[in-house]
Amino acid sequence: MAKSPTKNYQQLATELNQLIEWFEGDSVNLDEAVDKYEQAMSLLKQMEEHLKTAENKVKKIAVKFDAS
Amino acid sequence: MDGLVLAPTDFVALLNQTLEFAYPTVVIEGELSNFRVSKNRWVYFDLQDEIASVKFFGTVYNLPGPLEDGLKIQVVGSPRLHPRFGFSINVSSISPVGEGSIKKAADLLAAKLQAEGLFDEERKRRLPEIPVTIGLITAANSAAYADFIKILNERWGGVDIRLADVYVQGAQAPLQIVRAIEYFNELSSLVDVLVITRGGGSAEDLAGFSDERVVRAVAASRIPTLVAVGHEVDTSLAELAADLRASTPSNAAQLVVPSRSETIAGLAVAKKSVTEIINQRFQTASQEIQSSREYLTSQVNLLLSDRLKMIESTKKLIIAFDPRAALRRGYAIVSKQGRNIASVKQLSPNDKIGIQLADGKISAKVQET
Repeated sequence: MAKSPTKNYQQLATELNQLIEWFEGDSVNLDEAVDKYEQAMSLLKQMEEHLKTAENKVKKIAVKFDAS
Repeated sequence: MDGLVLAPTDFVALLNQTLEFAYPTVVIEGELSNFRVSKNRWVYFDLQDEIASVKFFGTVYNLPGPLEDGLKIQVVGSPRLHPRFGFSINVSSISPVGEGSIKKAADLLAAKLQAEGLFDEERKRRLPEIPVTIGLITAANSAAYADFIKILNERWGGVDIRLADVYVQGAQAPLQIVRAIEYFNELSSLVDVLVITRGGGSAEDLAGFSDERVVRAVAASRIPTLVAVGHEVDTSLAELAADLRASTPSNAAQLVVPSRSETIAGLAVAKKSVTEIINQRFQTASQEIQSSREYLTSQVNLLLSDRLKMIESTKKLIIAFDPRAALRRGYAIVSKQGRNIASVKQLSPNDKIGIQLADGKISAKVQET
């Protein structure tokens, strides 16, 4: 599998969910909140970008699945 | 060959050579009879019509599923003369033919696999919500492939699709599909989901997807499977064994990835909710600051006003003690030689005394005591 340096959508979504959970928790550390808010906004932007621009790639497997 | 005398072994060898040259493989279709399995391994049966009957020999690995006498089947094999047991056809593949036989064979297999629990709901795994890699098993030049990719591209992006190009109908289809499933399951880095699909067709076209080997391979896959065969109405046994079934190749694409537009709408909601939460947090914090300020101010004010009251009452007390206040009301202070006199006993006639009034002091002489 060719590893791309950027995160895939699932990874971005997981990170975002963690941040949202944090926000929905009881923590009131505002310094952290600002930081995490910025992270969340950046993730959302990347996810939108991904959704709008990413293309599916098809690679045909070279193996022959002959029955004999 | 006149005059040539052969030993039986030589004759068998010669005939087999001839058969191999003339009929390397034959396809024979007929009614199954005398079907029997020996030692769980060897399979013997005859195919017959009104006049002729031909013997076949094979292994259980050649079987598409359970069979019973009376079914109409098509067999691919090679004619051979066995040195001891005579003529038979060595089976390389068997498939039921005709709607009735296909259905009958599928029913037999369905009952068997059902009893084994292959179709049980508890076996079914959830497909990953958003797959990054998909193993796609279908015919590369089929409408099913084109439909699947078209709908997938409309709905989602960024998926790596590994296409295993296989026959999806005909005698080769079952084994090719099985090999492709095994191929994906043997990779060191597994794909997230296997999609096995083909479009609609006749009962015979779709028969490979009810082949026992295919159904078992689907059920045994370590990778979650999505199988979509034919049109809405067709249900193959492979679909029943899959973790998820889709009605058509397009439907498979709909089930395997979320919709881009719905997800973008979901992101907007997430954005709004995170923004609202942080705004609320800030509002709460600023309200807390405000109420702390108010509390502190009121506490300080309370303290100050207490002090003021105390000072006020002390002041009143001090004023009450001021002797000048008494002088103003008409009292006087009598002194002798600079000392205040509080009793007549301190004075004698002719003593010089001072009398202090509110607005001044006078001197006087005591006349009597």
